Amino acid sequence: MKYESQSIAKLYFIAAIGLFVGQILFGVILGLQYVMGDFLFPEIPFNVARMVHTNLLIVWLLFGFMGAAYYLVPEESERELYSPKLAILMFWIFLVAGALTILGYLLVPYATLAEITMNDLLPTMGREFLEQPTITKIGIVIVALAFIFNIGMTILTGRKTVISLVLLTGLVGLAVFFLFSFYNPENLVLDKYFWWFVVHLWVEGVWELIMASLLAFVLIKVTGVDREVIEKWLYIIIAMALISGLIGTGHHFFWIGTPDYWQWLGSIFSALEPIPFFMMTLFAFNVVNKRRREHPNKAATLWALGTAVMAFLGAGVWGFLHTLAPVNFYTHGTQITAAHGHMAFYGAYVMVVLTMISYSMPIMRGQQAANAKAQIVEMWSFWLMTVSMVFITLFLTGAGILQVYLQRYSDTPISFMETQSKVEMFYWMREIAGLVFLIGLIVYIVSFFVKGEEVKMAEAE
Amino acid sequence: MKTDETQLKRASDAALTSLLNLTILPVIGFIALLLIYRKTRPGDIDRYHALLGIQINIIAAAVLFLVSTLMILLGGFDSPWTWVYVITYFTLVHTVFIVFALWALVRAWSGDKLKQA
Repeated sequence: MKYESQSIAKLYFIAAIGLFVGQILFGVILGLQYVMGDFLFPEIPFNVARMVHTNLLIVWLLFGFMGAAYYLVPEESERELYSPKLAILMFWIFLVAGALTILGYLLVPYATLAEITMNDLLPTMGREFLEQPTITKIGIVIVALAFIFNIGMTILTGRKTVISLVLLTGLVGLAVFFLFSFYNPENLVLDKYFWWFVVHLWVEGVWELIMASLLAFVLIKVTGVDREVIEKWLYIIIAMALISGLIGTGHHFFWIGTPDYWQWLGSIFSALEPIPFFMMTLFAFNVVNKRRREHPNKAATLWALGTAVMAFLGAGVWGFLHTLAPVNFYTHGTQITAAHGHMAFYGAYVMVVLTMISYSMPIMRGQQAANAKAQIVEMWSFWLMTVSMVFITLFLTGAGILQVYLQRYSDTPISFMETQSKVEMFYWMREIAGLVFLIGLIVYIVSFFVKGEEVKMAEAE
Repeated sequence: MKTDETQLKRASDAALTSLLNLTILPVIGFIALLLIYRKTRPGDIDRYHALLGIQINIIAAAVLFLVSTLMILLGGFDSPWTWVYVITYFTLVHTVFIVFALWALVRAWSGDKLKQA
């Protein structure tokens, strides 16, 4: 590790992994509730489990991004972090606020939570993914501002690289677009616009910048390919991500009471959205193929390649599958969306954070790479989680197609609940795949504790 | 034998047209690939990649269209289960071919075969 302050990332990564475990546990509970409706009822109702599952995902990914930034930025800027103390303080504030929010979801009815957190003063609660009490949202803004100040000052007073500037742009975008969550218009259609300005512009906009910069950083480190080559790729990828992703927001405005022009804009621009992911795969393959060193951290290289491929598959292909307006007429809000959501989040964002952890954690523990045995265990976890996620996606896709046909396409459509009983088999198979994913995650955690002989980098040519 | 620039360029073009045939220019991409193949000589890297592209695309066509057609014929056009299998199968397998063609393109760019001898 080149700079002492990079080690702050370790705190963030440990918290991220802990919350990741929570997210998956609630995912498994939810999966079971799909087929056994009263499982854990009334202790953990379905709506609460779902809220915890999705909120934990967002929070742990934010922890992951922050940790990744705290590791990456000092190294790229060639200086210590502007304020390590601020980073540690924000870590604890974010962790405590996050934990209290999740406990709030679990321990009191949502309406009571809204009441005791004085949501009526500035109502922002009650929207999917943005269920956090207003006070938590204000906390997130404070943490984000302090984080961006810290990272920004480090970058601006140090060496400026394309990677760090793209990362900073992504992080600033993340903070700015979150501000839309404070506007909660009464008109439901208008509300959807602003809701998507947070959700879509995060995951199909600025998060892609964060992802691309993290991937580029790890690929430079593990392959030794010239920075100039990687930076050129990065420019094209982020340009494509923004060109397609910003107006691509329109694909969320189909069939919800918005003007018809969104069907054209949304269809055309979101048809372009697979391109940045396609290019990321090409970029990762190309860089690994041209590698100038054999880095001992094989696991990190595997995660990096896996990120590119799975992001293309989940975000690119599975997104395109239902993004054209005439198709979305039938598929809107079905299990096909859930299939896309699962693989896209895993492929693009979960995997890029795990890539960063895989690369940096051994270094923060004083090694160039984890020992060979630990890496084998880690690679097992990669395959267990990735293959099970592919199956989760396939089963949800199957459920979605059947749902569309029975509930919306058929000449004699049946009701939503009747359809749910017809697709139950898919939900069972999804649950089994979910359990395998959980096993993969446990194996991943175990990999950090596997002892063995240290591996070293081969001397450069 | 050392690969010259023309061969390298042709190998890259072959891999690219193979990818285009699998994605946004079906049929047209394949015709372009056949035209590139005609310009190549046995043993050269461009011949290798042109041939590889032709093989990938013929196998992809067989695996995607024949199997999907069989599924429809056996399952029935009006059965929801047919579409569950066909759409899921087609999407996944098609993507696998695209990713494979991407890797072939990267290898062609560097003048390498899929596996180094």
